[in-house]
Amino acid sequence: MLGETGSKGMDVTSRRGFLQLAGIGAIGATLGPHLAAAQAKSLTFLHESSFIKTFDEYMQKTLAPAYEKETGVKINYELTSVGSLPTRISTITETGSGADVTMTFFLLPFLFDEKLLDVSDIAEEAGQKQGGWYDSAREAAVVNGKWKVIPFSNIGQLMNWRTDWFAEVGVKKFPETWDELYEAGKKLKAKDHPFGFELGHGFGDNHGWLYPLLWSYGGHEVEADGKTVVIDSDETARAVDFARKFFRDTMLDDVLGWTDVSNNKAFLSEQISCTNNAESILWVAKRDFPEIAKVTDQSMNPAGPKGRFHIMSAISHGIFNFSPQKEEARAFLRWLTDEKQLAGWYASADTYYQPLLHGYDNAPMWQVEPRNIPYRDALANAHLVGWPAPPNRQLAESVAKYVIVDMFAKACAGAATKEVIKNAEVQLKEIYRTA
Amino acid sequence: MSVRSELLVGAARPPRQPASLSGWLDRQSVFSWLMMAPPLLFLAALVGYPFCYGILLSLQDRPVAHPGTFVGLKNFAANFNDPIFWQVTANTFIYTAAATVLKMVGGLALALAMNQQFPLKNLVRALLLLPFIVPTVLSTVAWMWILDPAFSVLNWFLIAVGVPKPGPSWLGNPVLAMVSIIVINTWRGLPFYGITLLAGLQTVPPELYEAATIDGATGWQRFRFVTLPLLQPIILIVTLFSVIFTFADFQLVYVLTHGGPQNATQLFATYAFDIAMGAGQLGRGAAVALAMFPALVLLIAALTVYLRRG
Repeated sequence: MLGETGSKGMDVTSRRGFLQLAGIGAIGATLGPHLAAAQAKSLTFLHESSFIKTFDEYMQKTLAPAYEKETGVKINYELTSVGSLPTRISTITETGSGADVTMTFFLLPFLFDEKLLDVSDIAEEAGQKQGGWYDSAREAAVVNGKWKVIPFSNIGQLMNWRTDWFAEVGVKKFPETWDELYEAGKKLKAKDHPFGFELGHGFGDNHGWLYPLLWSYGGHEVEADGKTVVIDSDETARAVDFARKFFRDTMLDDVLGWTDVSNNKAFLSEQISCTNNAESILWVAKRDFPEIAKVTDQSMNPAGPKGRFHIMSAISHGIFNFSPQKEEARAFLRWLTDEKQLAGWYASADTYYQPLLHGYDNAPMWQVEPRNIPYRDALANAHLVGWPAPPNRQLAESVAKYVIVDMFAKACAGAATKEVIKNAEVQLKEIYRTA
Repeated sequence: MSVRSELLVGAARPPRQPASLSGWLDRQSVFSWLMMAPPLLFLAALVGYPFCYGILLSLQDRPVAHPGTFVGLKNFAANFNDPIFWQVTANTFIYTAAATVLKMVGGLALALAMNQQFPLKNLVRALLLLPFIVPTVLSTVAWMWILDPAFSVLNWFLIAVGVPKPGPSWLGNPVLAMVSIIVINTWRGLPFYGITLLAGLQTVPPELYEAATIDGATGWQRFRFVTLPLLQPIILIVTLFSVIFTFADFQLVYVLTHGGPQNATQLFATYAFDIAMGAGQLGRGAAVALAMFPALVLLIAALTVYLRRG
């Protein structure tokens, strides 16, 4: 029993020895990272793990080493799993540490605007040098007149459809209007090739087609003032009525419970003939199901009585204003936004990330897969959820509560149009009461 | 009280040695507190602090990344006016009640079956724990495939016995979606009940059964008047734990339905998460999460009183 022999060494079996050792360990654990951090010059760049592996690899193997070679600053490209970025950014902003530069998407720049540096100078410079920004880029990045993030791309949501099955019902070109699509869908469902558009609680594939549908009928949830709830309108009623018959006569019942993975799975297992999605279906089909890829095409959303619309799901990059290395982060973001770097990074994912600078409208990457070109053209009439209202806290709450999605879903499940619109209005008025 | 106790203890102690750090550390009372301090600090930091912080947040208008302002009970009033909140409340109670009853009955049956003698008994007992051991997210993904309309083994079976194609939409129909999550929660929680009750069953003295048999008791009477009364304290404790876990369930719903369709499976935990993290309203999210608290406190208090009386 060493502990009882009075040994002078660090004897962990005695109480005193154990406590000494634990104390030294705790001090070491506390000081170690700080000492290490003080020596190396580095920036942490938080990014959601990409669906396209080569995209992350390009940052890890090409861009980050190139920047370190050029400036001596190491870029720690920290990947977070899909869906976890809002939680991760919340933690970082609440604790004031964890990353210097971050990816944002959707409404995050508006939720975290007070924790993001003004990067207007970098954004304006990039716009001047690279053909100017799309209007929708400003919509997604400018908060109270300041660019809080640098828009990187949109991940568009467009129509993915089976050319062979559409041809069987006499449709060679994708329908131009929702009504024409409905007619094609009825025939396709009768031939056991139904449509599948998400009406459940996913992250994006539901909003991706329901907001454009609402807009194309002239409906909106809130006025451009960001306060006045206008969901109860004849235009909304027409959109809801259309959605109900579109669901009933063209779709699988199961779409009411779908999340974002469901339509990819259904399309690639040949259960559905048409859905609304990002480029991921064709990407996976080309890799794993080449026979399906041959008969898959992508097209812009159909038009409604008030026009054609698409969703803006912008990805951007911003700098936390509590970063101890603001200037280094600024320099990195400026470097990253330069055409030399951006062009390569975009190309590493073909066109899965659609650039929001007009300078890339005719870039060679669009020729790699011409079926992706509609994703570029859709940028001209893409908007953030809630448009024409400016994004704010209330809009984020409406989206988190699936108010618009569930308005359509309840109607599709059988509820009356008036009832679902009234329910949505009650919810929205309660949400926007504080606006 | 503590002063008097110390005096009494002190009177029996030998005269104290001159104080030194080593001697002080070797004293039983000091060392035991030092050993207890880390878990106590751990509990205070990871349970006590978040809980108190949650209460503080619920009383604030606290958007994420913005400073909070005290609003009193306004967030709770907002819940009161929110139709989804009441739907979530009903969902959570239905989900908890149904899953708990199924787990209790099923777990008891499982324990009684496992208490019998049969070949490979130990292997079967070990295998029973699998649903409990497999990470929830992983098993939920497996269930996602089981309930998928195209690949569902359930629908394949139902269609084979004559149900029209494509079979039920397990996650698209609000009622079936709730039934599905109750069944999955029951499947996952059954081993916890089964194994704990089995441990309780093995503590019942065989003499009691022998005496009851000699008195002419039937199998049901032995269960009703011997087994059940002796198992009652364990059933209560297991139920208490199960209700707490089920009431606050998150992963299953988040992965499988995310509260859909049309909020039919939205529970307190998932709704609180959506409001706090999706909408960035930490105060409102905390108020939704804390809505669970009174119901759980009442339940814990009732069960504790019942146990003490027993």
